[in-house]
Amino acid sequence: MTRVMLTLLATLLAAPAAAHHVGAYVPKDNAVTINFKQVKFSVQARKFDVALRLFETGALRAEMRAHAATLPAGLEDGTRAALAASDGPEVERRLMIFFAALARDLALEADRRLAEAGGTAESRAATGRKFLEAIWRYYNLVDFAVATRDNKTSVAVRLAFDEAETYVKPATGAAAPADPARLRPPLQRIAQVLSTLIEASPTQARRDS
Amino acid sequence: MTVAAEPHPWRVPPRWVLLVAVLSIVCAEVGGASMARFKVELTRWARDSMLARPAVHGLVGVRDVDERILDEALVKFDAGLRLFHMHAEGMGLVIIATTMVAATVARAGVARRVIIALLTTGGAGYPVGYLVWSALIPAYGLERAKTIAEWLVWIPFGSATIVALWWLTGLIALRMIRP
Repeated sequence: MTRVMLTLLATLLAAPAAAHHVGAYVPKDNAVTINFKQVKFSVQARKFDVALRLFETGALRAEMRAHAATLPAGLEDGTRAALAASDGPEVERRLMIFFAALARDLALEADRRLAEAGGTAESRAATGRKFLEAIWRYYNLVDFAVATRDNKTSVAVRLAFDEAETYVKPATGAAAPADPARLRPPLQRIAQVLSTLIEASPTQARRDS
Repeated sequence: MTVAAEPHPWRVPPRWVLLVAVLSIVCAEVGGASMARFKVELTRWARDSMLARPAVHGLVGVRDVDERILDEALVKFDAGLRLFHMHAEGMGLVIIATTMVAATVARAGVARRVIIALLTTGGAGYPVGYLVWSALIPAYGLERAKTIAEWLVWIPFGSATIVALWWLTGLIALRMIRP
């Protein structure tokens, strides 16, 4: 009886004593996504002069330059030209290509990291989870633009993403433990689908012959 | 007009209890002021410490991935300092109020001394857990630092306060039945 009472007392004590308020973290935008939103909203408001200034002085253009080696040729110049020409749909299309390229590069890097030997399944799953968060942060910005132009690509990326997420979720209750080894195929699929989208989207200025 | 005599005048808790409570509030104020004054230095130190331990924080060397991890850790590092400031301020007052109730309601003896000791140590110790958590985040990561702070500070000191408060509640209820 005393043991039961003590156990009950310990349980009653432990539950509230172990519940500490440690604050909540709400992920913030980074400089690139903030600048993207600024440019996008300026374009939507048809303030192309503002959008051009924000693009020329913001992190978006700096990031385009930093990633120039892996981006389609003429993407930055074409974006600036579209802004100067007040061509909203073309600005949106070029920014879509840019963020698709960023997401693709992250998917390729994640696949490369997961192919490397070493580390526990837990740590590899954690790495995969963090890469997926970063991929989604960029892809999510342009998913609507992708879906309106190429719905199959949008669906393929989201399906691959959903599948990848199931392999990195931490084990809870009856759920299976994380399985990072199975994460590579969906990541490869994301990279391949986005590469096809980027290659199918011309970025060089069209010449009338 | 006549004023009815107070049957049970409030008793002041022992001086050492008041000293601990006031000291807790002083630490809260100093902590809050230091947090604001040295915000940049503290953030820089925490960031550098985290970058020096990439494996602990799961940093992968890709900026787009790492910036989110570092941001979350820095937000929690700052939250720990803020929560220490708020809890130390609040618990200082809680110590004074609850030990005053204990000193008034509980009859002199072991029970009163134990309740007052538990309320004081629990109340003063619990906020320190936030400081410990914050300080350990750069070296041990979010979850490990939280676990250490939990078992070292939050659970023992939090439990002491909870036990004492339930005990005090029981005593007050008893006094209502048998004044």
